[in-house]
Amino acid sequence: MIGQLLLNGTVSGLLLALPALAVSLTFGILKFPNFAVGGSLTLGAYAGWVFNTQLGFQIVGASLLAAATVALVSVLLDVAVFGRLREQGSIALMVASMGVSLILENLCRFVFGNATRSLDVDVARPLRWAGLRISHEQIVTAAAVLGCLVLLHLVLRTTPLGRAMRAVADNPTLAAARGIEREVIVRLTWAIIGLLTGLAGVLAAIDRAVEPLVGWSYQIPVFAAAILGGLGSPLGAVLGALAVGLSEELATLVVPTSYRQAVSFAVILLLLLVRSQGLLGARAVRK
Amino acid sequence: MSGAPAIPALAVRGLRAGYGRGGDIVRGIDLDQLPETILAVIGPNGSGKSTFVKALAGLLRPREGSISITGRDVTGLSAARRVVAGVAYVPQEKNVFATLTVRENMQLATEFLRRRAGTGREQEERVLTLFPELADRGRTLAGNLSGGQRQMVAFACALLANPEVLLLDEPSAGLSPRFVSETMEAIVRVRSAGTTIVLVEQNVQAALCIADAVMVLVAGRKSLEAPAGQIRQADLADLFFARAA
Repeated sequence: MIGQLLLNGTVSGLLLALPALAVSLTFGILKFPNFAVGGSLTLGAYAGWVFNTQLGFQIVGASLLAAATVALVSVLLDVAVFGRLREQGSIALMVASMGVSLILENLCRFVFGNATRSLDVDVARPLRWAGLRISHEQIVTAAAVLGCLVLLHLVLRTTPLGRAMRAVADNPTLAAARGIEREVIVRLTWAIIGLLTGLAGVLAAIDRAVEPLVGWSYQIPVFAAAILGGLGSPLGAVLGALAVGLSEELATLVVPTSYRQAVSFAVILLLLLVRSQGLLGARAVRK
Repeated sequence: MSGAPAIPALAVRGLRAGYGRGGDIVRGIDLDQLPETILAVIGPNGSGKSTFVKALAGLLRPREGSISITGRDVTGLSAARRVVAGVAYVPQEKNVFATLTVRENMQLATEFLRRRAGTGREQEERVLTLFPELADRGRTLAGNLSGGQRQMVAFACALLANPEVLLLDEPSAGLSPRFVSETMEAIVRVRSAGTTIVLVEQNVQAALCIADAVMVLVAGRKSLEAPAGQIRQADLADLFFARAA
Protein backbone atom coordinates (compact mmCIF):
# COMPACT_ATOMS: atom_id res chain seq x y z
CA MET A 1 0.00 0.00 0.00
CA ILE A 2 2.64 2.51 1.06
CA GLY A 3 4.89 1.39 -1.79
CA GLN A 4 2.12 2.10 -4.29
CA LEU A 5 1.46 5.52 -2.75
CA LEU A 6 5.18 6.34 -2.87
CA LEU A 7 5.29 5.34 -6.55
CA ASN A 8 2.17 7.35 -7.41
CA GLY A 9 3.41 10.34 -5.41
CA THR A 10 6.82 10.25 -7.07
CA VAL A 11 5.29 10.23 -10.57
CA SER A 12 2.78 12.98 -9.63
CA GLY A 13 5.70 14.97 -8.27
CA LEU A 14 7.71 14.45 -11.45
CA LEU A 15 4.76 15.77 -13.45
CA LEU A 16 4.84 18.93 -11.34
CA ALA A 17 8.63 19.21 -11.69
CA LEU A 18 8.72 20.61 -15.25
CA PRO A 19 6.35 23.56 -14.69
CA ALA A 20 7.89 24.11 -11.23
CA LEU A 21 11.28 24.35 -12.96
CA ALA A 22 9.76 26.86 -15.39
CA VAL A 23 8.52 28.96 -12.46
CA SER A 24 11.92 28.71 -10.81
CA LEU A 25 13.80 29.72 -13.98
CA THR A 26 11.50 32.71 -14.53
CA PHE A 27 11.98 33.84 -10.96
CA GLY A 28 15.74 33.31 -11.02
CA ILE A 29 16.41 35.05 -14.33
CA LEU A 30 13.46 37.40 -14.87
CA LYS A 31 12.75 38.08 -11.17
CA PHE A 32 8.99 37.62 -11.09
CA PRO A 33 6.52 34.85 -10.17
CA ASN A 34 5.24 33.69 -13.54
CA PHE A 35 1.54 32.80 -13.27
CA ALA A 36 1.34 32.33 -17.04
CA VAL A 37 2.56 28.80 -16.43
CA GLY A 38 -1.08 27.64 -15.93
CA GLY A 39 -2.25 29.01 -19.28
CA SER A 40 0.87 27.65 -20.98
CA LEU A 41 0.12 24.17 -19.62
CA THR A 42 -3.40 24.37 -21.04
CA LEU A 43 -2.04 25.57 -24.38
CA GLY A 44 0.45 22.68 -24.40
CA ALA A 45 -2.34 20.18 -23.71
CA TYR A 46 -4.48 21.52 -26.59
CA ALA A 47 -1.50 21.82 -28.96
CA GLY A 48 -0.66 18.18 -28.20
CA TRP A 49 -4.29 17.20 -28.85
CA VAL A 50 -4.33 19.05 -32.21
CA PHE A 51 -1.07 17.49 -33.42
CA ASN A 52 -2.02 14.06 -32.08
CA THR A 53 -5.69 13.61 -32.95
CA GLN A 54 -6.29 16.21 -35.69
CA LEU A 55 -3.01 16.11 -37.62
CA GLY A 56 -2.23 12.44 -37.02
CA PHE A 57 1.16 12.66 -35.28
CA GLN A 58 2.19 9.89 -32.89
CA ILE A 59 2.22 11.00 -29.26
CA VAL A 60 6.02 11.51 -29.12
CA GLY A 61 6.04 13.73 -32.21
CA ALA A 62 2.89 15.53 -31.05
CA SER A 63 4.50 16.20 -27.65
CA LEU A 64 7.62 17.67 -29.22
CA LEU A 65 5.57 19.83 -31.60
CA ALA A 66 3.34 21.00 -28.73
CA ALA A 67 6.42 21.91 -26.68
CA ALA A 68 7.84 23.83 -29.67
CA THR A 69 4.49 25.62 -30.14
CA VAL A 70 4.37 26.78 -26.51
CA ALA A 71 8.05 27.81 -26.73
CA LEU A 72 7.26 29.98 -29.76
CA VAL A 73 4.19 31.49 -28.06
CA SER A 74 6.28 32.20 -24.92
CA VAL A 75 8.92 34.06 -26.94
CA LEU A 76 6.19 36.04 -28.75
CA LEU A 77 4.59 36.87 -25.38
CA ASP A 78 7.94 38.20 -24.20
CA VAL A 79 8.19 40.38 -27.29
CA ALA A 80 4.59 41.63 -26.97
CA VAL A 81 4.10 41.85 -23.19
CA PHE A 82 6.82 40.87 -20.74
CA GLY A 83 9.71 42.59 -22.54
CA ARG A 84 7.82 45.89 -22.52
CA LEU A 85 7.22 45.62 -18.77
CA ARG A 86 10.75 44.45 -17.90
CA GLU A 87 11.73 47.69 -16.15
CA GLN A 88 8.35 48.14 -14.39
CA GLY A 89 9.10 45.79 -11.51
CA SER A 90 8.02 42.31 -10.47
CA ILE A 91 4.46 43.23 -9.41
CA ALA A 92 3.56 44.56 -12.87
CA LEU A 93 5.08 41.46 -14.49
CA MET A 94 3.26 39.13 -12.09
CA VAL A 95 -0.11 40.78 -12.77
CA ALA A 96 0.61 40.66 -16.52
CA SER A 97 1.42 36.95 -16.24
CA MET A 98 -1.94 36.34 -14.52
CA GLY A 99 -3.66 38.14 -17.39
CA VAL A 100 -1.70 36.16 -19.97
CA SER A 101 -2.65 32.91 -18.23
CA LEU A 102 -6.37 33.77 -18.32
CA ILE A 103 -6.17 34.90 -21.95
CA LEU A 104 -4.43 31.67 -23.04
CA GLU A 105 -6.92 29.55 -21.12
CA ASN A 106 -9.94 31.40 -22.56
CA LEU A 107 -8.51 31.36 -26.07
CA CYS A 108 -8.36 27.57 -25.80
CA ARG A 109 -11.93 27.55 -24.46
CA PHE A 110 -13.09 29.83 -27.31
CA VAL A 111 -11.43 27.78 -30.05
CA PHE A 112 -12.01 24.24 -28.74
CA GLY A 113 -15.04 24.63 -26.46
CA ASN A 114 -15.60 23.28 -22.96
CA ALA A 115 -15.80 19.61 -23.94
CA THR A 116 -13.29 17.26 -22.36
CA ARG A 117 -11.08 15.58 -24.92
CA SER A 118 -8.53 12.79 -24.82
CA LEU A 119 -5.25 12.15 -26.55
CA ASP A 120 -4.93 9.16 -28.85
CA VAL A 121 -2.64 7.04 -26.68
CA ASP A 122 -2.49 3.25 -26.88
CA VAL A 123 -4.10 1.66 -23.87
CA ALA A 124 -1.75 -0.86 -22.31
CA ARG A 125 -2.17 -3.14 -19.32
CA PRO A 126 -0.31 -1.91 -16.27
CA LEU A 127 2.87 -3.69 -15.30
CA ARG A 128 2.98 -5.53 -12.01
CA TRP A 129 6.30 -5.56 -10.23
CA ALA A 130 7.10 -6.32 -6.60
CA GLY A 131 3.46 -5.87 -5.67
CA LEU A 132 3.29 -2.47 -7.41
CA ARG A 133 0.92 -1.58 -10.20
CA ILE A 134 2.79 0.61 -12.70
CA SER A 135 0.73 2.15 -15.48
CA HIS A 136 2.05 2.83 -18.96
CA GLU A 137 1.33 6.56 -18.45
CA GLN A 138 3.42 6.60 -15.29
CA ILE A 139 6.39 5.10 -17.13
CA VAL A 140 6.04 7.59 -19.99
CA THR A 141 5.74 10.53 -17.58
CA ALA A 142 8.71 9.45 -15.46
CA ALA A 143 10.92 8.77 -18.50
CA ALA A 144 10.02 12.03 -20.23
CA VAL A 145 10.47 14.18 -17.11
CA LEU A 146 13.71 12.52 -16.03
CA GLY A 147 15.07 12.90 -19.58
CA CYS A 148 14.16 16.60 -19.54
CA LEU A 149 15.71 17.10 -16.10
CA VAL A 150 19.00 15.53 -17.17
CA LEU A 151 19.01 17.56 -20.39
CA LEU A 152 18.22 20.82 -18.60
CA HIS A 153 20.87 20.10 -15.98
CA LEU A 154 23.45 19.56 -18.75
CA VAL A 155 22.37 22.76 -20.50
CA LEU A 156 22.59 24.82 -17.30
CA ARG A 157 25.89 23.34 -16.10
CA THR A 158 27.95 22.62 -19.19
CA THR A 159 26.94 24.95 -22.03
CA PRO A 160 27.70 28.63 -22.66
CA LEU A 161 23.94 29.29 -22.72
CA GLY A 162 23.50 27.69 -19.29
CA ARG A 163 26.42 29.65 -17.84
CA ALA A 164 25.02 32.85 -19.35
CA MET A 165 21.57 32.12 -17.89
CA ARG A 166 23.08 31.62 -14.45
CA ALA A 167 25.23 34.74 -14.89
CA VAL A 168 22.20 36.87 -15.84
CA ALA A 169 20.32 35.44 -12.83
CA ASP A 170 23.27 36.26 -10.57
CA ASN A 171 24.15 39.75 -11.80
CA PRO A 172 22.62 41.10 -15.04
CA THR A 173 24.71 44.29 -15.03
CA LEU A 174 27.97 42.39 -14.78
CA ALA A 175 26.74 39.97 -17.44
CA ALA A 176 26.30 42.92 -19.83
CA ALA A 177 29.82 44.07 -18.97
CA ARG A 178 31.09 40.60 -19.92
CA GLY A 179 29.59 40.83 -23.41
CA ILE A 180 26.38 38.90 -22.70
CA GLU A 181 23.28 40.45 -24.31
CA ARG A 182 20.61 40.08 -21.63
CA GLU A 183 17.73 40.28 -24.10
CA VAL A 184 19.05 37.32 -26.11
CA ILE A 185 19.46 35.21 -22.97
CA VAL A 186 16.00 36.24 -21.74
CA ARG A 187 14.37 35.19 -25.04
CA LEU A 188 16.16 31.85 -24.98
CA THR A 189 15.06 31.40 -21.35
CA TRP A 190 11.46 31.99 -22.43
CA ALA A 191 11.90 29.37 -25.14
CA ILE A 192 13.13 26.84 -22.55
CA ILE A 193 10.29 27.78 -20.18
CA GLY A 194 7.84 27.23 -23.07
CA LEU A 195 9.37 23.84 -23.92
CA LEU A 196 9.06 22.69 -20.31
CA THR A 197 5.46 23.87 -19.80
CA GLY A 198 4.37 22.70 -23.27
CA LEU A 199 5.64 19.19 -22.64
CA ALA A 200 4.18 19.22 -19.12
CA GLY A 201 0.83 20.21 -20.65
CA VAL A 202 0.83 17.10 -22.85
CA LEU A 203 1.83 14.91 -19.88
CA ALA A 204 -0.97 16.48 -17.82
CA ALA A 205 -3.37 15.70 -20.68
CA ILE A 206 -2.19 12.08 -20.67
CA ASP A 207 -2.58 11.93 -16.89
CA ARG A 208 -6.00 13.60 -16.80
CA ALA A 209 -7.71 15.01 -19.92
CA VAL A 210 -7.61 17.93 -22.32
CA GLU A 211 -9.93 20.63 -20.99
CA PRO A 212 -9.64 24.41 -20.42
CA LEU A 213 -8.94 24.14 -16.67
CA VAL A 214 -6.21 21.50 -16.91
CA GLY A 215 -3.48 24.14 -16.39
CA TRP A 216 -5.29 25.86 -13.54
CA SER A 217 -5.58 22.57 -11.63
CA TYR A 218 -1.77 22.38 -11.57
CA GLN A 219 -1.13 26.06 -10.86
CA ILE A 220 -1.17 26.01 -7.05
CA PRO A 221 0.76 22.73 -6.57
CA VAL A 222 3.35 23.97 -9.10
CA PHE A 223 3.87 27.22 -7.21
CA ALA A 224 3.94 25.34 -3.91
CA ALA A 225 6.67 23.10 -5.33
CA ALA A 226 8.75 26.01 -6.62
CA ILE A 227 8.43 27.94 -3.34
CA LEU A 228 9.04 24.87 -1.20
CA GLY A 229 12.19 24.10 -3.18
CA GLY A 230 13.44 27.67 -2.83
CA LEU A 231 12.47 30.01 -5.68
CA GLY A 232 15.28 30.39 -8.19
CA SER A 233 16.86 27.01 -7.44
CA PRO A 234 16.25 24.49 -10.27
CA LEU A 235 17.20 21.45 -8.17
CA GLY A 236 15.06 22.82 -5.35
CA ALA A 237 12.07 23.02 -7.71
CA VAL A 238 12.42 19.31 -8.52
CA LEU A 239 12.75 18.35 -4.85
CA GLY A 240 9.81 20.62 -4.00
CA ALA A 241 7.71 18.99 -6.72
CA LEU A 242 8.52 15.52 -5.39
CA ALA A 243 7.67 16.67 -1.85
CA VAL A 244 4.29 18.04 -2.99
CA GLY A 245 3.48 14.90 -5.02
CA LEU A 246 4.46 12.54 -2.21
CA SER A 247 2.71 14.49 0.54
CA GLU A 248 -0.52 14.60 -1.52
CA GLU A 249 -0.45 10.83 -2.00
CA LEU A 250 0.67 9.93 1.52
CA ALA A 251 -2.03 12.20 2.98
CA THR A 252 -4.58 9.65 1.79
CA LEU A 253 -3.28 7.30 4.49
CA VAL A 254 -4.79 9.50 7.18
CA VAL A 255 -7.70 11.37 5.53
CA PRO A 256 -10.17 10.71 2.72
CA THR A 257 -8.83 11.46 -0.80
CA SER A 258 -10.89 14.64 -1.15
CA TYR A 259 -8.93 16.26 1.75
CA ARG A 260 -5.48 15.24 0.62
CA GLN A 261 -4.54 18.63 -0.85
CA ALA A 262 -5.36 20.39 2.42
CA VAL A 263 -3.23 17.96 4.43
CA SER A 264 -0.33 18.10 2.00
CA PHE A 265 -0.34 21.89 2.08
CA ALA A 266 -0.44 21.85 5.86
CA VAL A 267 2.73 19.74 5.75
CA ILE A 268 4.32 22.17 3.29
CA LEU A 269 3.32 25.12 5.49
CA LEU A 270 5.00 23.47 8.46
CA LEU A 271 8.13 22.83 6.38
CA LEU A 272 8.26 26.47 5.32
CA LEU A 273 7.80 27.63 8.92
CA VAL A 274 10.87 25.62 9.84
CA ARG A 275 12.85 26.62 6.74
CA SER A 276 11.38 29.81 5.30
CA GLN A 277 13.80 30.07 2.37
CA GLY A 278 12.67 26.67 1.04
CA LEU A 279 14.64 23.44 0.77
CA LEU A 280 17.52 24.83 -1.32
CA GLY A 281 16.71 28.53 -1.10
CA ALA A 282 19.96 29.57 0.58
CA ARG A 283 21.89 29.61 -2.68
CA ALA A 284 19.26 31.76 -4.31
CA VAL A 285 19.82 34.54 -1.78
CA ARG A 286 21.46 37.54 -3.41
CA LYS A 287 24.93 38.31 -2.08
CA MET B 1 58.16 64.75 -31.99
CA SER B 2 57.92 63.19 -35.41
CA GLY B 3 55.09 61.43 -37.27
CA ALA B 4 51.35 61.68 -36.86
CA PRO B 5 49.98 62.10 -33.33
CA ALA B 6 48.78 58.84 -31.76
CA ILE B 7 45.06 58.12 -31.99
CA PRO B 8 43.69 58.40 -28.45
CA ALA B 9 42.75 55.04 -26.96
CA LEU B 10 39.74 56.78 -25.44
CA ALA B 11 38.21 59.98 -26.76
CA VAL B 12 35.20 61.58 -25.07
CA ARG B 13 33.40 64.66 -26.34
CA GLY B 14 30.73 66.65 -24.47
CA LEU B 15 29.54 63.65 -22.48
CA ARG B 16 26.40 64.17 -20.42
CA ALA B 17 24.72 61.36 -18.48
CA GLY B 18 22.33 60.80 -15.59
CA TYR B 19 19.79 58.37 -14.14
CA GLY B 20 16.11 58.08 -15.06
CA ARG B 21 14.39 61.43 -15.23
CA GLY B 22 16.83 63.10 -12.84
CA GLY B 23 19.23 65.84 -13.82
CA ASP B 24 22.62 65.30 -15.42
CA ILE B 25 25.25 63.79 -13.12
CA VAL B 26 28.00 63.99 -15.71
CA ARG B 27 27.84 67.47 -17.24
CA GLY B 28 29.81 67.76 -20.44
CA ILE B 29 33.18 66.00 -20.14
CA ASP B 30 35.87 66.09 -22.86
CA LEU B 31 38.84 63.77 -22.70
CA ASP B 32 41.65 62.35 -24.85
CA GLN B 33 43.60 59.51 -23.27
CA LEU B 34 46.78 58.23 -24.87
CA PRO B 35 47.23 54.48 -25.38
CA GLU B 36 48.89 52.41 -22.63
CA THR B 37 48.46 55.04 -19.93
CA ILE B 38 46.68 55.08 -16.59
CA LEU B 39 44.27 57.96 -16.10
CA ALA B 40 43.20 58.40 -12.48
CA VAL B 41 39.74 59.91 -12.16
CA ILE B 42 39.38 61.43 -8.70
CA GLY B 43 37.02 63.80 -6.98
CA PRO B 44 34.85 64.22 -3.89
CA ASN B 45 31.92 61.93 -3.13
CA GLY B 46 29.03 62.50 -5.53
CA SER B 47 31.19 64.17 -8.15
CA GLY B 48 30.00 61.74 -10.85
CA LYS B 49 33.09 59.52 -11.13
CA SER B 50 31.21 56.21 -11.11
CA THR B 51 28.49 57.60 -13.36
CA PHE B 52 31.17 58.73 -15.82
CA VAL B 53 32.77 55.31 -15.96
CA LYS B 54 29.36 53.57 -16.25
CA ALA B 55 28.54 55.78 -19.21
CA LEU B 56 31.88 54.78 -20.78
CA ALA B 57 31.03 51.10 -20.20
CA GLY B 58 27.60 51.49 -21.82
CA LEU B 59 25.65 50.68 -18.65
CA LEU B 60 24.19 54.17 -18.75
CA ARG B 61 23.11 55.63 -22.07
CA PRO B 62 24.72 59.05 -22.65
CA ARG B 63 22.23 61.90 -23.03
CA GLU B 64 24.65 63.87 -25.14
CA GLY B 65 28.17 63.60 -26.49
CA SER B 66 30.27 60.84 -27.98
CA ILE B 67 32.72 58.13 -26.92
CA SER B 68 35.35 56.64 -29.24
CA ILE B 69 37.69 53.71 -28.65
CA THR B 70 40.86 53.84 -30.79
CA GLY B 71 39.02 56.09 -33.23
CA ARG B 72 35.82 54.04 -33.47
CA ASP B 73 32.61 55.65 -32.24
CA VAL B 74 30.95 53.34 -29.69
CA THR B 75 28.37 55.79 -28.30
CA GLY B 76 25.35 53.94 -29.70
CA LEU B 77 26.53 50.45 -28.75
CA SER B 78 25.06 48.41 -25.87
CA ALA B 79 27.32 47.47 -22.96
CA ALA B 80 27.74 43.95 -24.37
CA ARG B 81 28.73 45.26 -27.82
CA ARG B 82 31.19 47.71 -26.30
CA VAL B 83 33.07 44.74 -24.84
CA VAL B 84 33.44 43.39 -28.37
CA ALA B 85 34.60 46.88 -29.43
CA GLY B 86 37.37 46.80 -26.81
CA VAL B 87 35.97 48.24 -23.56
CA ALA B 88 36.18 46.19 -20.36
CA TYR B 89 34.67 47.28 -17.05
CA VAL B 90 35.27 46.12 -13.51
CA PRO B 91 32.57 47.45 -11.17
CA GLN B 92 33.27 48.54 -7.61
CA GLU B 93 31.00 45.94 -6.02
CA LYS B 94 29.54 42.64 -7.20
CA ASN B 95 32.36 42.35 -9.70
CA VAL B 96 32.23 38.55 -10.02
CA PHE B 97 29.39 36.08 -10.51
CA ALA B 98 29.27 34.90 -6.90
CA THR B 99 27.23 31.74 -7.61
CA LEU B 100 29.58 30.56 -10.38
CA THR B 101 33.04 29.06 -9.97
CA VAL B 102 36.20 30.99 -10.82
CA ARG B 103 36.62 28.81 -13.90
CA GLU B 104 33.04 29.54 -15.04
CA ASN B 105 33.58 33.26 -14.46
CA MET B 106 36.65 33.10 -16.70
CA GLN B 107 34.89 31.02 -19.36
CA LEU B 108 32.06 33.56 -19.52
CA ALA B 109 34.54 36.38 -19.99
CA THR B 110 35.15 35.37 -23.61
CA GLU B 111 32.39 32.94 -24.59
CA PHE B 112 30.21 35.64 -26.11
CA LEU B 113 33.05 37.61 -27.74
CA ARG B 114 33.67 35.36 -30.72
CA ARG B 115 34.04 38.37 -33.01
CA ARG B 116 36.82 39.92 -30.91
CA ALA B 117 40.40 39.06 -31.86
CA GLY B 118 42.97 38.02 -29.29
CA THR B 119 40.64 36.37 -26.79
CA GLY B 120 41.90 32.82 -27.20
CA ARG B 121 44.21 30.49 -25.37
CA GLU B 122 47.27 32.77 -25.64
CA GLN B 123 45.44 35.60 -23.91
CA GLU B 124 44.33 33.24 -21.16
CA GLU B 125 47.94 32.20 -20.60
CA ARG B 126 49.01 35.86 -20.55
CA VAL B 127 46.33 36.68 -17.97
CA LEU B 128 47.28 33.70 -15.81
CA THR B 129 50.87 34.94 -15.92
CA LEU B 130 49.64 38.27 -14.52
CA PHE B 131 47.50 36.53 -11.88
CA PRO B 132 49.17 33.15 -11.26
CA GLU B 133 47.22 32.57 -8.03
CA LEU B 134 44.03 32.01 -10.05
CA ALA B 135 45.32 28.94 -11.86
CA ASP B 136 44.56 26.52 -9.00
CA ARG B 137 41.34 28.20 -7.81
CA GLY B 138 39.24 27.22 -10.81
CA ARG B 139 36.71 25.13 -8.90
CA THR B 140 36.21 27.59 -6.04
CA LEU B 141 32.87 29.36 -5.95
CA ALA B 142 33.70 33.03 -6.65
CA GLY B 143 31.39 34.11 -3.83
CA ASN B 144 33.61 32.27 -1.35
CA LEU B 145 36.74 34.29 -2.25
CA SER B 146 38.08 37.16 -0.15
CA GLY B 147 37.59 40.74 -1.38
CA GLY B 148 41.13 40.91 -2.77
CA GLN B 149 40.83 37.57 -4.53
CA ARG B 150 37.50 38.59 -6.08
CA GLN B 151 39.15 41.73 -7.36
CA MET B 152 41.84 39.63 -9.04
CA VAL B 153 39.21 37.36 -10.65
CA ALA B 154 37.34 40.43 -11.85
CA PHE B 155 40.54 41.91 -13.35
CA ALA B 156 41.41 38.62 -14.98
CA CYS B 157 37.94 38.27 -16.52
CA ALA B 158 38.06 41.80 -17.87
CA LEU B 159 41.53 41.23 -19.36
CA LEU B 160 40.57 37.94 -20.99
CA ALA B 161 38.49 40.07 -23.38
CA ASN B 162 41.83 41.60 -24.54
CA PRO B 163 40.48 45.15 -24.09
CA GLU B 164 41.88 48.35 -25.55
CA VAL B 165 40.54 50.26 -22.56
CA LEU B 166 40.01 48.87 -19.05
CA LEU B 167 37.63 50.78 -16.78
CA LEU B 168 38.19 50.21 -13.05
CA ASP B 169 35.67 51.60 -10.57
CA GLU B 170 37.33 51.98 -7.14
CA PRO B 171 39.30 48.72 -7.16
CA SER B 172 40.77 49.45 -3.70
CA ALA B 173 37.38 49.94 -2.00
CA GLY B 174 37.01 47.72 1.06
CA LEU B 175 40.47 46.17 0.74
CA SER B 176 43.09 46.00 3.49
CA PRO B 177 46.21 48.19 2.92
CA ARG B 178 48.24 45.14 1.83
CA PHE B 179 45.66 44.23 -0.80
CA VAL B 180 45.45 47.87 -1.96
CA SER B 181 49.15 47.78 -2.68
CA GLU B 182 48.86 44.41 -4.48
CA THR B 183 45.93 45.69 -6.50
CA MET B 184 47.81 48.80 -7.59
CA GLU B 185 50.80 46.66 -8.59
CA ALA B 186 48.48 44.47 -10.64
CA ILE B 187 47.10 47.58 -12.41
CA VAL B 188 50.63 48.67 -13.34
CA ARG B 189 51.35 45.18 -14.72
CA VAL B 190 48.20 45.36 -16.82
CA ARG B 191 49.22 48.78 -18.21
CA SER B 192 52.70 47.41 -18.97
CA ALA B 193 51.05 44.59 -20.91
CA GLY B 194 49.62 47.20 -23.30
CA THR B 195 46.19 48.12 -21.93
CA THR B 196 44.90 51.66 -21.41
CA ILE B 197 43.34 52.11 -17.98
CA VAL B 198 40.78 54.51 -16.57
CA LEU B 199 41.04 54.24 -12.79
CA VAL B 200 38.30 55.76 -10.66
CA GLU B 201 39.61 56.00 -7.11
CA GLN B 202 38.75 57.45 -3.71
CA ASN B 203 42.22 56.49 -2.48
CA VAL B 204 43.90 59.50 -4.11
CA GLN B 205 47.36 58.76 -2.78
CA ALA B 206 47.37 55.20 -4.10
CA ALA B 207 46.01 56.34 -7.47
CA LEU B 208 48.58 59.14 -7.87
CA CYS B 209 51.42 56.69 -7.24
CA ILE B 210 50.64 54.69 -10.38
CA ALA B 211 48.78 57.12 -12.68
CA ASP B 212 50.27 58.80 -15.74
CA ALA B 213 47.58 61.47 -15.80
CA VAL B 214 44.89 62.71 -13.46
CA MET B 215 41.42 64.07 -14.10
CA VAL B 216 39.61 65.73 -11.23
CA LEU B 217 35.81 65.73 -11.38
CA VAL B 218 33.80 68.13 -9.27
CA ALA B 219 30.00 68.22 -9.54
CA GLY B 220 30.06 66.31 -12.82
CA ARG B 221 32.52 68.63 -14.56
CA LYS B 222 36.23 68.32 -15.26
CA SER B 223 38.02 70.68 -12.87
CA LEU B 224 41.53 69.69 -13.77
CA GLU B 225 43.40 67.39 -16.13
CA ALA B 226 47.16 67.16 -15.82
CA PRO B 227 50.10 64.75 -15.80
CA ALA B 228 50.25 62.96 -12.44
CA GLY B 229 53.70 64.37 -11.70
CA GLN B 230 52.38 67.92 -11.77
CA ILE B 231 49.64 67.36 -9.23
CA ARG B 232 50.23 68.66 -5.72
CA GLN B 233 48.12 67.50 -2.76
CA ALA B 234 47.48 71.14 -1.83
CA ASP B 235 45.97 71.81 -5.28
CA LEU B 236 43.72 68.80 -4.90
CA ALA B 237 42.50 69.88 -1.48
CA ASP B 238 41.67 73.27 -2.95
CA LEU B 239 39.76 71.66 -5.84
CA PHE B 240 37.96 69.11 -3.67
CA PHE B 241 36.80 71.41 -0.93
CA ALA B 242 36.72 74.93 -2.34
CA ARG B 243 34.89 74.20 -5.54
CA ALA B 244 32.85 71.13 -4.65
CA ALA B 245 29.73 73.22 -4.11
